[in-house]
Amino acid sequence: MGKFEESDGFKIIYNYFEDREQSPFQFQIKTWKKYASGHCGVVVAPTGFGKTFSVFLGVLIDYLNHPERYKKGLKLLWISPLRSLAKDLAKAMKAAVDQIGLDWEVQVRNGDTPQNVRRQQERLMPDILLTTPETMHLLFSQKKNSRWFTALQCVAVDEWHELLGNKRGVLTELAISRLLTIVPNLKIWGITATIGNLKEAMDVLIPYADKKTVMITAKEKKKIKVVSVLPNEVEVLPWAGHLGKSLSSKIIPIIYENNTTLIFTNTRGQSELWYQIILEAAPELAGQLAIHHGSIDLKLRHWIEDNIAEGNLRAVICTSSLDLGVDFKPVDCIIQIGSAKGVARFIQRAGRSGHSPYEVSKIYFVPTHSLELIEVAALKEALKTGKIEERQPMVLCYDIMVQFLVTLAVGEGFHADEAYKILKQTHAFSYLNEDEFNWGLQFITQGGSTLKAYEEFHKVIKDEDELYKVKSRRISMLHRMNIGAIVSDAMLRVKYMSGGYIGMIEEFFISKLKPKSSFVLAGKTLELVKIKDMTAYVKKSKAKNAVTPSWLGGRLPLSSHLSHYLRIKLADALSPGIRERELKFLHPLISRQSAHSHIPQSNEFLVELIETKEGFHLFMYPFEGRLVHEVISALIAHRISKIKPLTYTIAMNDYGFELLSDQPFPIDENNIENILSKENLMEDVTASINASEMASRKFRDIAVIAGLVVQSRPGSRQNNKSLQSSSGLIFRVLEDNEPQNLLLRQSYTEVFDQQLEEVRLQAAFERISKSKIILKHAKSFTPLSFPIKVDSLRNSMSYESLEKRIERIKKQTLKVN
Amino acid sequence: MTIAAKTVNIQGEVLALTNQRCIYWKAKEALILSDLHIGKTAHFRKNGIPVSSEVLQKDLQRLEQLIHHFNPKSLIIVGDLFHAELNKDVLFFKKWMQQFPDINISLIKGNHDKNSFELYDGLNIDLLDNQLELPPFVFVHDIKTYAVNKFYISGHIHPGVLIKGKGKQRIKLPCYQIIKNKLVLPAFSEFTGLNSNTNIEITRCFAITKTQVFEV
Repeated sequence: MGKFEESDGFKIIYNYFEDREQSPFQFQIKTWKKYASGHCGVVVAPTGFGKTFSVFLGVLIDYLNHPERYKKGLKLLWISPLRSLAKDLAKAMKAAVDQIGLDWEVQVRNGDTPQNVRRQQERLMPDILLTTPETMHLLFSQKKNSRWFTALQCVAVDEWHELLGNKRGVLTELAISRLLTIVPNLKIWGITATIGNLKEAMDVLIPYADKKTVMITAKEKKKIKVVSVLPNEVEVLPWAGHLGKSLSSKIIPIIYENNTTLIFTNTRGQSELWYQIILEAAPELAGQLAIHHGSIDLKLRHWIEDNIAEGNLRAVICTSSLDLGVDFKPVDCIIQIGSAKGVARFIQRAGRSGHSPYEVSKIYFVPTHSLELIEVAALKEALKTGKIEERQPMVLCYDIMVQFLVTLAVGEGFHADEAYKILKQTHAFSYLNEDEFNWGLQFITQGGSTLKAYEEFHKVIKDEDELYKVKSRRISMLHRMNIGAIVSDAMLRVKYMSGGYIGMIEEFFISKLKPKSSFVLAGKTLELVKIKDMTAYVKKSKAKNAVTPSWLGGRLPLSSHLSHYLRIKLADALSPGIRERELKFLHPLISRQSAHSHIPQSNEFLVELIETKEGFHLFMYPFEGRLVHEVISALIAHRISKIKPLTYTIAMNDYGFELLSDQPFPIDENNIENILSKENLMEDVTASINASEMASRKFRDIAVIAGLVVQSRPGSRQNNKSLQSSSGLIFRVLEDNEPQNLLLRQSYTEVFDQQLEEVRLQAAFERISKSKIILKHAKSFTPLSFPIKVDSLRNSMSYESLEKRIERIKKQTLKVN
Repeated sequence: MTIAAKTVNIQGEVLALTNQRCIYWKAKEALILSDLHIGKTAHFRKNGIPVSSEVLQKDLQRLEQLIHHFNPKSLIIVGDLFHAELNKDVLFFKKWMQQFPDINISLIKGNHDKNSFELYDGLNIDLLDNQLELPPFVFVHDIKTYAVNKFYISGHIHPGVLIKGKGKQRIKLPCYQIIKNKLVLPAFSEFTGLNSNTNIEITRCFAITKTQVFEV
């Protein structure tokens, strides 16, 4: 036994485990050791294996061994992306601390923390504080906040993979960088699930050369069992989005076989729809079935979560709202409806069941059209190889820089060189140059480049000591309200006329409804009465037909990782392996595709030209996800119109896209390679899209984060009406008057990085250019093209007329052949 | 700047709806406009949101050209001449207004026009709290109660219209709306949003662009 294992601290903790008839995992012991030897690092472990107790107990052991090194006050800061996690985590930590016999105080601080507790914390910080990135920045915006952190020993970032890849991650990076200026010896630890770029994840969290770092990976693996729910027979023409409904009879028995089932759908709209479908199929489940998504009243959501934890519910239909969060012990089964869009998300959802170590996670996959079964085969293949998506960290977010500088100015004030250093030493701003930083200073002190046009602007003032400060109380208040990087869509509260709050709904959706029309929310059918003060007043509706809201968010793109496996599995589908149940099942469909058109091999690219009564259709199948297809389809339309001007309608899904025209396409074997060429790619893309309009949409988040737009908070009494404006308006004003504004530039960069996914687009065309292009003509829709066709119909038609229309197309198609 | 206009005949009167967000009423030699929101950019700047004062300059340049073009005797402003408190934008406007000493302003107060003496001091202005009757029209800011036998001209809602083209092309334009016995003006200031949400049957709608007015 080494020296560490003989230390008092280690023995106490080891005994603590023995008392509970457990023994620590190897990765936990390794983390404790590395913590004791002064390392920073990242712990990689699946959920349910006690990753919390790796870092947390590491700090306790160190304290028990060297109490003299610890001062009074905050010792461990625990940053996690989710508020709902904090409460239970604090309880678990508190229990451990008490049992070990320490007098440490463990507390939570976030948006839900009551005023009196906050004031009390500000007088004396607890020994361990659990918080969020946003709350960290709120603390920085308080007067004399440095004093709270002088005793700090360790900052732990939980679920780091959830923060990496978005702007909340940048907020976290900045928070750590600022803390280091107060306590240079701070230890930084991250806790993460497996992602494709773990090394990078660690470098982003701990980019500091003077820190010794280590990555500790748990050997323990979560076993996942994937079962696909197959329909009775395969439809040769997969009917997108509607197949699932007929599968409800197969879902009900699964619910009864298990204690508690979480049913994941991809959008809030779908979850509302499935709630109705399941209740219709099994009315006796009423009262044991709940619906949980981001637009449902927070109190109701908490109530549902509590009831899942207590095992009172049979099934909960949910969206990504339950991807993360507290471990619900009773949950022993997961159903995924429709594509999970990514390997990591699929694993994460599967992991919500069978939570204790060594238990197997069970997940059923319900396809919404038969082609999605290929995705199951692809997911299984991806699970076998163990490769998971990467999360790309964000860099040079000027909106966050601006917000952070004002936060510092509202708090203790800052000197330019200190602030520059804090920014520059993070990964996100390592490429920041002085010109850009000075632009930021000018932006917050003068507003713009022409001084005269911004005379009254005094947001941040540089005083005689060169200290940048916010003097106005009103500006401080407005800024504190605005701290953070989560920008929600404009939402309205939904309330009963008689009182009682149901949830939130997008302004975009409700503005299209007329009073007296009905819609579904939280599983209830409601009739709109009136809209007033950002609130939609409703009453119970008896209507049979109600609209299900489409929330704008939640349309996740297919990850490039998953699409890679999809292409492989589609090629395999003609001769499936004996154990590939899904592919075998799909065989009739695949052979029809093969007979009437072609099944693209992984080194081929399929183009279909189909002529129907409706017109001339061009289908292409890049398998790159809806977002990228949006760009490619516009690009192809642009290139074709150079040969012959045509008007089109465009439709797409995650697998491919359609151009529909009333005239034949001027495409043949001779020019198709040119049309799909990788030459002049970005030039043609820029010419084919309205970049300024896309940038204006991207600018919405940027404007809110940088404090250019004051968010109206539904239900809040302070609505700051005289400061209301839309980001689109500000975007136009800036384009007219301050074209060199970095926030404008950022919006264009974000369009190219995120909307156009430039890197992925380049890679896709690189791949296509190396592929053999197969051009096929057909007289009717093929199994691959049919779901795209149906998807495009759905946008313009009511449900009933859609069903009839699809039946008609199917009949026509089958007759032709 | 192009000034285009479309004339409409309402209650026997000829009104020219211009593409520059105001109406010229020839019989009374009056320019009718709404929602100038003067002081808005300065109000934003004061509260820490940098919006260039160029925005106001451009609005006023446009008004100046309109005045030179139509040569009106009065401006009828159906509310929201000012956005908030007395500030540099307002002072600038007052000074700018001095170049037209003979033009009288009638302001029907809007929800943004505060009851403060200093805002209106020094302007050649008639302040009206609720409405102005100049037969056959009643000028109001926002209509709460209708009389069936009257014709109203108002502002307040900043109307816009969504025009959909092929291939998911959508464009939102400011517009004039005629709803039964009421005409709603677009907001004069370009630093205003467009409200294209409406649950009311619109009788006629005229959209405007930089160069033209056209009925939708």
